Amino acid sequence: MSGKIKITIIEPSEIVTTGLKRLIEQNGSFNVAKTFSTLQEYGGTPNGNPDIIIINPTIVGDSGYSDPRSLLQANDNTAIMAINYGPYDEDAFRSYDGYISIFNTREQIEKRLSAALKNSSEKETYDDSNELSVREREILTAVAKGKTNKEIADEFNISIHTVISHRKNISHKLGINSIAGLTIYAVMNKLLDVEDF
Amino acid sequence: MTMNCCAPIFTAKTKMAEIITDYSLLTIIDRLNIKLGFGDASIEEICRRHNLSTDLFLMICRVYAIDGFVPDISNLTNSDIPKLIGYLQRTHKYWIESFFPNLHTNIHTMLESCDERSAKILNKFYDDYDDEVQKHLDYEENIVFPYIASLGSGDKSNKFRIKDFEENHSNIEEKLHDLKNIVIKYLPENASQQSRINVLNEIFKIENDLNKHSVIENKILIPLVSKYE
Repeated sequence: MSGKIKITIIEPSEIVTTGLKRLIEQNGSFNVAKTFSTLQEYGGTPNGNPDIIIINPTIVGDSGYSDPRSLLQANDNTAIMAINYGPYDEDAFRSYDGYISIFNTREQIEKRLSAALKNSSEKETYDDSNELSVREREILTAVAKGKTNKEIADEFNISIHTVISHRKNISHKLGINSIAGLTIYAVMNKLLDVEDF
Repeated sequence: MTMNCCAPIFTAKTKMAEIITDYSLLTIIDRLNIKLGFGDASIEEICRRHNLSTDLFLMICRVYAIDGFVPDISNLTNSDIPKLIGYLQRTHKYWIESFFPNLHTNIHTMLESCDERSAKILNKFYDDYDDEVQKHLDYEENIVFPYIASLGSGDKSNKFRIKDFEENHSNIEEKLHDLKNIVIKYLPENASQQSRINVLNEIFKIENDLNKHSVIENKILIPLVSKYE
């Protein structure tokens, strides 16, 4: 990326926009090139090709869109971040590449901006259905049997990175993170026999 | 998503009675041994009576009241450490003596109404979890807290360092979160509805407490103790 990282802010509160712009621009590699207070002002397409768009999530919520990317018609290289005003946990911002909390320090904001840029460039397509794919069921069964990522990678002839990515998707879809919890799911759904356990 | 900008703002001058707006803040004052019946006294006044630093008190309240709150420990001193440990120990005591036994009873009642297959695996899951929690708390009570107390008495012989705690601080929230989703989503419908609801209510009650407790240990206790090692 050449030159400064270009940022657009869409936020109704001038206090927040001004404060955020100031904090962000204290780091010389970021430039808040455009700010808008409403979606109408923003105009429906990102002009100036920003690297990051930071948006107040209520604007997205009120628009009826669940996915900020399609609302903003941003391309895949643009990272989209939310401003977290309150006691919301990370799950509220799953459809974003990251979020900035209004309680964050300047250093935390810088870290989050960089992480969001990285997220958007490495993004895997986000599957909204909660149904496990055939491959995911196979991998879940292997995990529940106690196999390591390396063993699973060898068995299915895929990279460890892919195994980890499958496991992340499985945990997200099921809402279960621990191996013990995944095993319960596998047994209850007869992917694994209770005697194996 | 509706915007909730009403994160409570309290200061040393706020009346103590005004901050007791929900279950978690009530729990905090109880764990700090502050007795109810404080009339219109301010936080500052009550803390002075209890020989407790207002900064520490406000910090714990803010951790509970504001998600993502990042405590700034620069105003705390080593005299806050014993109070903080006392707070953490009373929390553990409540979990061990009251919360987990209660959850255990509720889970067993729920499993009695389940098919054998589900009951068998969930029973094992919960027993393993119970062991894990016990180990987690024993480690803190028997190794970490005595070490911190030895620092206070000037005893430098202990080889343990708070960094070791930081590295070994396991997460006991994850499996409870999984258990919650299993009971909501995957336990077959034949399990008794009321007993499931009882289990879920117990989990809802403790989830936030466990999360905030970790914040207090990781973001207040560990950095504060490392300042005095």
